[in-house]
Amino acid sequence: MKTWSDIVAVQPLAGKIMTNSIKRGRMSHAYLIQGARGTGKEALAFLTACTLFCAHKSGVEPCGTCLDCKRIASGNHPDVHWIVPDGQSIKREQIDHLQKEFTYSALESTQKVYIIKEADKLTNNAANRILKFLEEPGSHTTALMLTENSQSMLSTIRSRCQMIDLKPLDPTLFQQRLIDEGMDERSATLISEMTNNITEAKTLNDDVWFADARKLMIQWMDISCTQPKELYVFVHNRWMPHFKERHQQDRGLDLLLLAYRDILYAHLDKMGGLTVFTSNDDLIQKGVLAFSQQKLLAVLQHILAAKRQLQQNVHQTLVIEQLALQIQR
Amino acid sequence: MKFTIQRDPLIASIQDVAKAISPRTAIPILTGMKLDVRQHGVTLTGSDSDISIESFIPAEENGIVQVENIEEGSIVIQSKYFTEIVRKLPEQTVEIDVDDSLKVTIRSGKAVFNLNGQDASEYPQLPKVETDDSFSVDTTLLKHLIKQTVFAVSTMETRPILTGIKCQMANNVLNFTATDSYRLASREIPVDHTSLEFTCVVPGKSMNELHKILDDSEENVEISITKNQILFRTKHLSFLSRLLEGNYPETSRLIPDDSKTVIHAKTKQLIQTVDRASLLARTNDNSVVKLVADQDGFIEISGYSQDIGEVSEEVQVSGIDGESLNISFSSAYMLEALKAIDAEDIKIEFTGAMRPFIIRPENDQSVLQLIVPVRTF
Repeated sequence: MKTWSDIVAVQPLAGKIMTNSIKRGRMSHAYLIQGARGTGKEALAFLTACTLFCAHKSGVEPCGTCLDCKRIASGNHPDVHWIVPDGQSIKREQIDHLQKEFTYSALESTQKVYIIKEADKLTNNAANRILKFLEEPGSHTTALMLTENSQSMLSTIRSRCQMIDLKPLDPTLFQQRLIDEGMDERSATLISEMTNNITEAKTLNDDVWFADARKLMIQWMDISCTQPKELYVFVHNRWMPHFKERHQQDRGLDLLLLAYRDILYAHLDKMGGLTVFTSNDDLIQKGVLAFSQQKLLAVLQHILAAKRQLQQNVHQTLVIEQLALQIQR
Repeated sequence: MKFTIQRDPLIASIQDVAKAISPRTAIPILTGMKLDVRQHGVTLTGSDSDISIESFIPAEENGIVQVENIEEGSIVIQSKYFTEIVRKLPEQTVEIDVDDSLKVTIRSGKAVFNLNGQDASEYPQLPKVETDDSFSVDTTLLKHLIKQTVFAVSTMETRPILTGIKCQMANNVLNFTATDSYRLASREIPVDHTSLEFTCVVPGKSMNELHKILDDSEENVEISITKNQILFRTKHLSFLSRLLEGNYPETSRLIPDDSKTVIHAKTKQLIQTVDRASLLARTNDNSVVKLVADQDGFIEISGYSQDIGEVSEEVQVSGIDGESLNISFSSAYMLEALKAIDAEDIKIEFTGAMRPFIIRPENDQSVLQLIVPVRTF
């Protein structure tokens, strides 16, 4: 997405809000751009920065070829600051740096733009320090905060920003694109649930690790439906050796989430929504018999809780063990 | 781009410019040093975005050719490696060659280095300054001006504007003021041949750097102001600093006009006495010392710490006018102020124990140090 017209095509509402406020010179001092992965948060932030700085724009479209545009793209523009999480979170030192920049005059132009990626990863300490600047914005500074989950940010921050909601992408469109790229239909349905990025989708599809992960997930489902007592042993013998890293574990939980959701869909006769199974799979029939709707809801809650715990640095083995025990109960 | 340059002036320039470059920077291109080659000479630029230093090596100086075989162009080279390489080159002449794909070749004697350069157009553009808006100040005077004020800037980030020095030019007088709200330092100097008027706040950190980089052998520094930067320029060196945004608090009202007690003293003697008193006062928060002045030409300075003990010393001063006085203040602030004042004789003007007092050199109104006393029981 390189131009506003591209953005408006995908995100009509958000694109329009931004272009209109630029046209009328009514930029807010802080925006909180919220949207799922791949919905174009960064593209939107990048374009906004370009539009503010570009001296040769036609209407609202930045030229993309002048020095300012080029340097924003390469991260070398002295008045555009990108803050990216350093490891698991955005640390206080990063905000200290930003705070200092707030008090200095701009280097080249008369305005400054700050883009905070994954703003939900601000530590509480860092978030509170940023608050002050959202309360008393300096002259000509624009803050753009990008997040997948605005609810996990401090409400005090949310209330001081203009919210821009990006609508989720249409999964069927993306599925169709994947199928056009030569993926088989089942993989396309599954992978389109995991990512919105076409290159990432392709690497996932070609990844042997991911293929094994899918097999393991089927086995987990089989065991949890037919012989739940064995699940705990399965976790130790098969599951843990395969999902070693935290992000791999997260993927694994995503797969489980989709699988249990499928069974719930089967209960509700919504066969169109199936992602992991097809309607005539044996396993899904077994699942419907083994789990009640209520039990399924509880399981889904447990998986989400497990995902949260993983993010909070709880020991992986403990998280999965607990999940297995909760499902077996 | 291509040129051949003498190694010594290049090293000197690189050393100046490298002072501005910080290895940890948010903008990747600022880890590099910019070389701009023109027919009349080579300009080196380094920056950490807060301050930028430019050094110019003229093609010919005092009849000595320093740069030759010039093909114009610009390039950004990784500063860390470039500095080291140039320092260790074997011969006196260095040949630098840049091809179209931004590959830099550095040749000296038989040694050849190939480095990857970066596009110079990515480098931040420093403001072009018109000479009309500038005025010039004696270098040593400017260094004094900085030294006598910069120590008083605030180190706390709670009020960022106070981390800077306010530079004000009005009616042909240049005034520097710094305060951290507990003390204030100010100095003014007359400036001729200018009708410029401005007020800006320069970060204390930048001023410290400037103080370090200014060479005493240089005669004059030319100062100019742009929208968001201040430029100090000597013959071959330009020093740019970003400014602080915001309104500097009005400080003139803080300075009392009248005084109830005036003490005339020898600076050196007072420094030593306060220093001794502070030895035992160091344990309490601000190392507070007490000053008692009676009419008999003596003042008593005492320090006290509950756990350690107490000290008191009587000092004969040149004169005490007005009411008797009993006041407490931070010895650290007092020492810094006395050292900065740079005069043999001083006068201290008090307006009561709860009001700020000011220290000035005898017979000189241009320097002023103000300290807020500490309330004690």
